[in-house]
Formats: sequence, C-alpha cells, structure tokens
Amino acid sequence: MKQIFTLIIVFAAGMGLSVEAGLLGPLGETVGHMSATLCIFLVGGLLLSLALIFAPTRALPQLFSQPRWMLTGGVLGPVYVVIITTATPILGVGTTMVAILFGQIATGLLLDHFGAFGVPRQRVDRYRTGALFLIAIALFLIH
Amino acid sequence: MLSFILIPLALLGGATLAVQSSVNGRLGAAVGILATAWLTFVVGSVISVLLVLFVQAPQDISLLAAPRWQMTGAFFGVFYIVAMVFSVPLIGIAAATVAVVAGQLTMGLLIDNFAWLGNQRIALDPQRWAAIVLLLGAIALIYLGNRKRETS
Repeated sequence: MKQIFTLIIVFAAGMGLSVEAGLLGPLGETVGHMSATLCIFLVGGLLLSLALIFAPTRALPQLFSQPRWMLTGGVLGPVYVVIITTATPILGVGTTMVAILFGQIATGLLLDHFGAFGVPRQRVDRYRTGALFLIAIALFLIH
Repeated sequence: MLSFILIPLALLGGATLAVQSSVNGRLGAAVGILATAWLTFVVGSVISVLLVLFVQAPQDISLLAAPRWQMTGAFFGVFYIVAMVFSVPLIGIAAATVAVVAGQLTMGLLIDNFAWLGNQRIALDPQRWAAIVLLLGAIALIYLGNRKRETS
C-alpha cells in the first residue's frame, strides 16, 4: 500500500516536471528565455536554502570539502533550462520531453560504457538500446 | 523548419542532464541530495544572472512584471527533488525512474492536447497515440534494465 502511494507521489512529481516546462515556455516568450531560466534557479535556490536550514543533518560543511570537479554539476543546469524554455513553445511539451529523454538515455549509456566521472564501467546493454530505438521512432511519430 | 534545429538542441539538453546527474550522483552520495540540489540551483542562479545582464537582449517586459503564477515553475522542480529523496529508498531507483518518466510524458501530452498554461494546442492524433504505445515499451525496457543493474 505504502509502495503504491509512493509510486503515485513520484508519478505526480514527474508530471510536475512537465508543468514546470509548460510554465517556462510561455514565460520565456514574454520576458526572455534567460530571465525565465533565472526565475527557476532563483526561486528553486531560495526554497532549497530554506529546506537546508531546517534539514535534520547539516551537509554544507562537507559539501565544500569535496573535490572541486564534483561541485561543477550545476554549471550545466542553465544550459538545460534555456534549451527547454526555447524549445517548448515551438515543439510542444510532449515532443521536447521525448527528445530530452532520448538525449539523456543515450548519453547515460555512453557515460556508463566509458566509465566517465568515476561511474562504474558498464557495457551497453540490450534493454537500454532497445528503449532508445523505441524512443527514436516515437520521437519521429510525435513531432 | 525550426524543429530541425530545436530537436537536436533538445537532445543536447538531455545529454547535459545525463552528465549533470552523473557528476551530481557522486556528490549526492557524499553529501546528500538536498545539499547537491542546493548547490546546483545556486550555481545556476549565478550563471543565469550573468546571462540576463550580459547576454540577453533587453526585453519589453521585465521578469517582475510577468504574472506571478508563471513564476511557480521552480516549486514543481523542488517538489520533484524532495519526492525523489524520500521515495528512492522506499521503492528503488528503477521504479522511481519509470514513474517519473511516465508522469512527465503523460503531463506533457496533456498540456499539449488541452493547450494548458498558455501553450499552443497540439492534439493527440493517431500518430501521437502510436508514439505513446512505443514509449510504454521503452519505459518497460528502462525498468527491466535498471532492475537488472540494481540487483547485479
């Protein structure tokens, strides 16, 4: 029962990601794609700052003692948000999400294969190549 | 015509997401998802401010003049992060990924179909229904692949 409830919450969280993209597109059209991106990171950063202050464990001291390359993940965030803000008004939310999914899985497969960024090396498996193949056809049909 | 540029761009967006999640995955294992997400958003804010100030052409309407409801996107993003923090230990990464992707695609197609939130209308035609069937197959394969990796 608890499992099904958790699945529903996560499904709703996934829906939220599309709502976020659906809000971003029209906002970017009126105020500029980069301003819309700023809005996401600023509001998100503020909310998470609140969450961190009241979180049961204090993680910030450890955060800044990690190797510097591990702290660079956030650099790519704005690239991603500017892209969805630009793409959704023209492609639609559905097509954008399917294209993102394809890029994500394909790259994940490559990173695993070469063991990049300290990820354990894993050979390309049939499941994910099969999934990629189906997503490619879906992308062709959907747009 | 524009979609010939935008689809590769969206693919690139997915690629940045994958790179970001492998770097952040390492960091998350060391300091927790919340602190990792916080850093991502703070760095993202800094870069976005620089982009707005020095790259973006001046706009007729400023961000603060936009309707407030359009600015609520980040609440959904943060809800997603918090939901994952609590759910992955309970249901595993395989099931969580599948539920997220399913939710994302369902809502994306609904927003398009009903033109919600001020988006243009793209109706669910037979081609889109066929794509949904293929995507269900893809989601099933992703689940099986993740399950296998989780247990191995």
